[in-house]
Amino acid sequence: MTLVYEPGSTPAHRLDPRSKLLVQTTFVAAAFVYTTPPGLLALTGLVAGMLAVARTSPLRSLWEFRVVLPVVVAAPILEGLTLGAPWFVLADAIGPALASVRVLLVLLVTAAYVRTTPVRESRAVIQRSVPGRPGQFLGMGAAFVFRFLPVLQDDVARIRNAQRVRLGAERPVTERVRLLAVAAFARAFDRADTFALALQARCFAWNPTLPELRLGARDLPALALAAALAVAAVVGAT
Amino acid sequence: MTRTNTSGVDLVDEETTLNIARAALFAALMGAFALVSVTVPVTSIPFTLQVLGVFLAGILLGPVWGGAAMVLYLAAGAVGAPVFEGGSAGIGILLGGAPSFGYLWAFPLAAVVIGYLVHGSTEVRRPSSVSPARLVVAMAVGTVVIYAFGALGLMYVQDVGPEAAVLAGVVPFVPAEILKLVAALGIVRSDVLQAG
Amino acid sequence: MIRTEGLVHRYGDVTAVDGISMTVDDGTFLAICGANGSGKTTLVRHFNGLLEPDDGEVFVDGDPVGADLVAARTAVGMVFQNPRDCFVAATVGADVAFGPENLGLAREEIDRRVESALSAVGMDGRRDERIDRLSGGETARVAIAGALAMEPDHLVLDEPFTGLDWPARQLVRERLESLNAAGTSVVVVTHDLGAVADVVDRVVVLSDGTIAADGPLGAVRADLEGLDVRPP
Repeated sequence: MTLVYEPGSTPAHRLDPRSKLLVQTTFVAAAFVYTTPPGLLALTGLVAGMLAVARTSPLRSLWEFRVVLPVVVAAPILEGLTLGAPWFVLADAIGPALASVRVLLVLLVTAAYVRTTPVRESRAVIQRSVPGRPGQFLGMGAAFVFRFLPVLQDDVARIRNAQRVRLGAERPVTERVRLLAVAAFARAFDRADTFALALQARCFAWNPTLPELRLGARDLPALALAAALAVAAVVGAT
Repeated sequence: MTRTNTSGVDLVDEETTLNIARAALFAALMGAFALVSVTVPVTSIPFTLQVLGVFLAGILLGPVWGGAAMVLYLAAGAVGAPVFEGGSAGIGILLGGAPSFGYLWAFPLAAVVIGYLVHGSTEVRRPSSVSPARLVVAMAVGTVVIYAFGALGLMYVQDVGPEAAVLAGVVPFVPAEILKLVAALGIVRSDVLQAG
Repeated sequence: MIRTEGLVHRYGDVTAVDGISMTVDDGTFLAICGANGSGKTTLVRHFNGLLEPDDGEVFVDGDPVGADLVAARTAVGMVFQNPRDCFVAATVGADVAFGPENLGLAREEIDRRVESALSAVGMDGRRDERIDRLSGGETARVAIAGALAMEPDHLVLDEPFTGLDWPARQLVRERLESLNAAGTSVVVVTHDLGAVADVVDRVVVLSDGTIAADGPLGAVRADLEGLDVRPP
């Protein structure tokens, strides 16, 4: 249902995660600088290429971002509306409409990364790029979030179902929210206690052996693309 | 008893381990809440429980670890954990790729502010011993921080003016925020939860 | 060898462990049983320094546990009651590697240990599988592999058979038996002596935080009556 890593052997899977993150970051920078019809058209072509390399379906990815879509659609409409005649000014809506296209492109690039990069590699990127204890905290912490997310999603779903069964839907909404949250947080605290013991038993340390990452020849095209996007963004902004 | 070791292994101490575990669990719960929407009566606008998660991170974990939990939430989402709105993820979203980006960046700040206002220092007090007035003020300030950043984020990402940003990104959620504030108050006062 | 001397542990006003002195010999297969609240879990959590004694002391291979926690936790591997809440990673291999990574071992050594630990529990070649898709018995065995990857001399398991069906239980028991035969001492905290009756060398029965009986199964059988223990 949600956007997750899928094992595979596409060229995008074999890239070093750092190259992929660089491409994403420079892509966002370029997209903000070139939020014009020709600029976005060129970037759309690029996104199509990236999705093809990652064998990621654009329609399926957009469907996974469906919650974001109402704002993307509403923003240009709200900006175009005026109080009084002519009620809608097309010129005011063009800027926000282009911005909405940019949002969709960035989301698709993001989807390609998430589909093709396992947690272990993402964790390694954080641990290797943020030095010392903060890097270890963020890297391991993020890995723990991946690990517990499905468990807590289950907890929340189960608590909601139990509430429905007990006619929870007839209670006032604050009461329902309160009951749901109390149960969910109590479960989370319990799990944290057990988990902390398990970490200690296995010598949870600030200085572990980190997963390996290797930049190789296959990363060159991605790095070149990132460099080109960065240069384009800088040139366009000045 | 002195707790040391002779090898080169730098163990994470017991208290920090527990705090990291709690921060990670809170961050994951924020992700789980991103998929839960409850509909507000009358307006029938759906809202997620995420802001409630921010409130409780500040109140139950305090300014330091509450803020850390929200930073973990963003970090996990940035590298692909499907924890943002509707199960989305990716660094692109934090760089301005989605309309929600202003709200997201406000979460750690709001958790720190709420935690500091509730606990008065970096020490974590028992939340049920804090006066309701103080909790309400802290959460109200936190809400203002989140929505101010949220509206600014909308203006930037969607290229709209302040009026449209407030209409699209703040006004529809005011009733829900009041509900969440009341719910959070009930949760904290119920004393079922203790970060001890 | 694990040795406790006059070990006392209190939770507030409740004394969970009340002056226990005992040893776990190298290579032994020991069961610790007793009613709920008799202090079993609290006792074993002192074996690798997860808890600090209110009084008394714990030694692993002659050294006080607190003097070198890494040494104690490497020597005494622990598997918790709810293994599902204890995994650190989403896939089998990444989880089993967690302990050795924390010890700062070289990548090749970590890989070797992961392979060997998984093979010891009959989960060879399943490194890339997702843990949340495993059966109960497989989950229990991966949890054991996570502890084995530290290459411990002693393996402590808290209620390892709870929630397992009979075939899974048999499989876990067989694995523990072969580990024990290979020289690892095994300590099983359990309600259910039936699962390990024919392999244990010794049974320690706890009651209200003290040792009520200690000896071979035949000698303590009478003491199991009236306790919340399923006799074999």
